[in-house]
Amino acid sequence: MTALSKELLQSIAEVLARVPVDPADLAGSVAQLESQLDGLARLDDLDLLHVEPATVVVPPTEVPHGR
Amino acid sequence: MAANELTRLSIAEAGEQIRRRSISPVELTRAYLDRIAARDSQSRCYITVLREEALAVAAGLEKEVCDGHYRGPLHGIPIGLKDLIMTRGIRTTCGSRILKDWIPEADATVATRLFKAGAVLLGKLNLHEFAYGPTGVNPHYGTAQNPWGRDRMPGGSSSGSGGGTAAGLCAGALGTDTGGSVRIPASLCGIVGLKPTYGRVSRAGVVPLAWSLDHVGPMTRTVTDAAILLQALAGQDPADPSTAAVPVPDYRAGMAGDVRGLRVGIVRELFFERLDPDVRAAVEAAARALEGLGARVEEVRLPRIHHATAAVFAIISAESMAYHEPYLKTRASEYGADVRARLLTGQFVLATQYLKAQRARQVVRAEVDGVLRQVDALLTPTTPIPAPRTDEREATVEGVREDVRGWLTRCTRPINLTGNPALSVPCGLTRDGLPIGIQLVGRQFDEATLLRLGQAYEAVSPFRDHRPPLAG
Repeated sequence: MTALSKELLQSIAEVLARVPVDPADLAGSVAQLESQLDGLARLDDLDLLHVEPATVVVPPTEVPHGR
Repeated sequence: MAANELTRLSIAEAGEQIRRRSISPVELTRAYLDRIAARDSQSRCYITVLREEALAVAAGLEKEVCDGHYRGPLHGIPIGLKDLIMTRGIRTTCGSRILKDWIPEADATVATRLFKAGAVLLGKLNLHEFAYGPTGVNPHYGTAQNPWGRDRMPGGSSSGSGGGTAAGLCAGALGTDTGGSVRIPASLCGIVGLKPTYGRVSRAGVVPLAWSLDHVGPMTRTVTDAAILLQALAGQDPADPSTAAVPVPDYRAGMAGDVRGLRVGIVRELFFERLDPDVRAAVEAAARALEGLGARVEEVRLPRIHHATAAVFAIISAESMAYHEPYLKTRASEYGADVRARLLTGQFVLATQYLKAQRARQVVRAEVDGVLRQVDALLTPTTPIPAPRTDEREATVEGVREDVRGWLTRCTRPINLTGNPALSVPCGLTRDGLPIGIQLVGRQFDEATLLRLGQAYEAVSPFRDHRPPLAG
């Protein structure tokens, strides 16, 4: 498997997300992501097939207030 | 009464004396303001101090009480607000350079509710920039001092709320909690911190970090004071659709009973893995103390709780990046380096990972709620380690070296995922004289049982007679 690299993340940020980044900031992102990727993959151990995501309640449009 | 005696009174004590007119709101407010003036250049707990405004409000409240109109236990009580809670006409910086001159046009609902209850706003309290970090280290406004050690982190993100309340620079404060930001500084600074149930307290007018994990909660020197503040804050708010129409009980009345027969669960998974030995000993002693009070302490299992760490990471990363993206596109250089790097990470979390995390959240919450049908509350450490040094980036516990941010949030962030209420109460000191906290986790919307347990424990806690050495 290809390791995460600052170059890969910079491409994603600038091409997909269109957020300009200083490559110096991406070392922290690489480390943080690498420390979480196994945990994120292990979420597949949970039986989620019939589980809907928790979401924030959205008020009906006729309610004239909101955050 | 001498000024330093006034600032040592709990909210409950001061409120009672104001009701009896043995002290005045102006006298009490001035005592706090003078203390802030004398100490805050060192303690850096406040970003903005509102001397003239606070004295004017206190004078109005004094007249009211003299005229026989007493609003309740917060009448004339000087408090501080974390500086990401919007205040009309008063700058709200979020601990950032980006919003250093922002003056909101409206109060947050929680501010409105406290003002209506008679609280006096002393000022806006320091925090980790945009609340995104558990250390409280702030490159723009300095780092709020932990009154238990000049070189120790106050914890974050509600660092000024924790340090200021502990040091007697306000009678109590509000913080916000997305991964532990009320409970962590409460534990590290030796005070009480309550994260209410998600939906119990309005977030309207509070600058978000992660919408689905953010909570607002009280930080106080006693459990009773936390109950007093929660009473004023709790309840549905039409401006925050995530608040729930769940009745708000009389919290102080609910604290009157004892805790005999209450069942308290100990979860070894995650919460008791790799602890500082002094923390482990203090929390085990707290469990025995609760047994001594008549509670039934038993071990329970949460085999899926480990998944909370990754789920919270995905949710907080994606939601915070979504909120901050406009600033990151145009003003990235104005963020502190640590917060900018953490925010940028959010754009690399896949949408499918985010949604998987929100689905995992349902599973973890169902498991926690299931266990809380067997027991009335869970008992855990609040943080696995006491306050690290301010310059410490990593800490080693039981041979494992890890980023201090990971250590500090390990026991608190799962409860942001599940939304349960959680109360941190001081339970002792390490051999180095640093505070330790226990975390009590309750059923959804059952803050009342946590407050009852917390108050009963507080009365026997070995911490109860200690005061921070830098509080004078």
